[in-house]
Amino acid sequence: MTPDVTSRSRAPLMRRLAIASEPYLYSAPAFFLIVAVMLVPLVLGISYAFRDVQLLNPFSGGFIGLDHFRTLSEDQAFLRALKNTLWWTGASVFFQFVFGLILALLLDKPFAGRGLVQALVFLPWAVPTFLAGLNWAWLFNPVIGPIPHWLYALGIFSEPNNILSDPHMAMWGPIIANVWWGIPFFAITMLAALQSIPRDLYEAAAIDGASGLQRFMSITLPFLAPTIAITVLLRTVWIANFADLIVVMTNGGPADRTQIVASYIFTQAFKRLDFGYASAIALVLLGLLLIYSMLIVLLRQTLLNKD
Amino acid sequence: MASIDVQGVRKNYGDVEVLHGVDLTIRDGEFIVLVGPSGCGKSTLLRMIAGLEEVTGGDIHIAGKHVNHLAPKDRDIAMVFQSYALYPHMSVADNMSYSLRLRKTPKEKIASAVGAAAAKLGLDPLLERRPKALSGGQRQRVAMGRAIVRQPKAFLFDEPLSNLDARLREQMRAEIKKMHGDLGATSIYVTHDQIEAMTLADRIVAMHAGVVQQIGSPLDLYDRPANLFVAGFIGSPGMNFLEGTYHSGDGKADIRLSDGTAIPIRPREGLRDGYAATLGIRPEHVELKEDGSWQADVELVEPTGLGIILHLSIHGQSFKIFTADRAVLSPPPSLQVNFPEEHLHVFDEDGNRAD
Repeated sequence: MTPDVTSRSRAPLMRRLAIASEPYLYSAPAFFLIVAVMLVPLVLGISYAFRDVQLLNPFSGGFIGLDHFRTLSEDQAFLRALKNTLWWTGASVFFQFVFGLILALLLDKPFAGRGLVQALVFLPWAVPTFLAGLNWAWLFNPVIGPIPHWLYALGIFSEPNNILSDPHMAMWGPIIANVWWGIPFFAITMLAALQSIPRDLYEAAAIDGASGLQRFMSITLPFLAPTIAITVLLRTVWIANFADLIVVMTNGGPADRTQIVASYIFTQAFKRLDFGYASAIALVLLGLLLIYSMLIVLLRQTLLNKD
Repeated sequence: MASIDVQGVRKNYGDVEVLHGVDLTIRDGEFIVLVGPSGCGKSTLLRMIAGLEEVTGGDIHIAGKHVNHLAPKDRDIAMVFQSYALYPHMSVADNMSYSLRLRKTPKEKIASAVGAAAAKLGLDPLLERRPKALSGGQRQRVAMGRAIVRQPKAFLFDEPLSNLDARLREQMRAEIKKMHGDLGATSIYVTHDQIEAMTLADRIVAMHAGVVQQIGSPLDLYDRPANLFVAGFIGSPGMNFLEGTYHSGDGKADIRLSDGTAIPIRPREGLRDGYAATLGIRPEHVELKEDGSWQADVELVEPTGLGIILHLSIHGQSFKIFTADRAVLSPPPSLQVNFPEEHLHVFDEDGNRAD
């Protein structure tokens, strides 16, 4: 028995309680803030999915179990929105990534006026999305925008039509706007990752006899892989949830051809004012994105562990 | 293996000239060390030979071939970097075989080349590891292994030991020398460490401010430094300098310090009566004698184990002595010293050696 232990067992009950609860008291403010700011709204939102919440119906609000999800499983508009989301997200992320990477590789090499070009390249990121959407909608509009006329002059279109009103082409409008707007994100992050690669490695590879492509494959790409994985994950989740451009440019039309899940939620909640159903859709989207994130995080872990 | 010929090589960054015309002929199998303080242009010269920097003016020939405009890979040289520059995503074996794989060398040949290099450097148990799982010394070995598997015409070393601790540096220095003895490859080695330069080099190229100061064997530079810079740079602790004016007549000469003290020397050619001159003597050559001609005040005692460095002041000028005599560990406040004539170096008013 050390004197320390005996003296502690003799301490009064209140004191022992105070000592035991000390760490919890320290963390309590942060804990309550997180619960109040994050968990309460989340739980409330999720609870809507199981209730009949319609703003225009004063008698709604009752618990209806899984009714919304049953409706959802037969909702053709939702299924089409799901497909459109895949298409919208995949194409946007892919082109943003490819162009962002190319831009970062170009900006990584020193040239006269690089500082200015870097600043200009990152400009789209600073444009509010609603403004960007309006801007691109006008560019595609043959009445005031030049793009349809250029495409017509190049012989790609038989007449200067608005691609936003063409059911087969409409999705490309918001995708192009999104790519333009999102390239800087990839360019910035890739450039930062590129600049952290030691220059010695490229010099050693040049002496070893590696061509530009071989240097890219055996040095640049392995170095960028973890950054690529995390930025693609972030952007995918972001873009899948990102309805601004679509709402501004096409509002889901023509004939729901550009409706993605996020814009469908927006339509259900703020046009039909059916918050319950919108919450149910949001919950499904949340689940899908969570699964996707887990996969990417696992992929990244294995990539990092391999080294 | 090859000779390397550098003729009138200059380098500009914008308007700033960092190398002012370097001439250097390196014989086949020679070990050349470029030594000088930071920013003297030694690394730039090495990188120009490697092809990593553009040549602003002059010509570089490797094995008689003009290489000014050849890409690094076409010069058939290998380089060891200060940071080792190992590919972090490849195993040790892959790091070593990368250049051979790029050249589409047959698999069996690669395996035997890597095996031979690994055996020579004691890397066999590490071949499957990644560089980040290795210690600094092991990484250094891998970097050397990567250089030797290709059997290039020349090895270039850019301060390869600077990131190692003192003990390991000593060990790797000996290994590099041994490896050069085995392979007999033409080598150019850049360092700011004069001990590395002295121990490794067949010939040292001492550089300062983009100009070659002296080229010669290590003992040449030590015994007969061509100017004040080389005299001060080579040797540790550094050479002592006493500044004064040269006076001669009647077959005698002396250097007069600013307080009027005259130190007699034998007359030297190339020195002008009444002009400034600098007297140099290495700390290990100063004699401590009870009947010495000069009185020195003791300021500081630094025991190094091997010997003792005494910091003195002679006629107001600071001065060092290196001696193995442990009696001076607790010296009297002042000592008598002698400057043996055969160990005196005299430099003229421009800092060039006068004999």
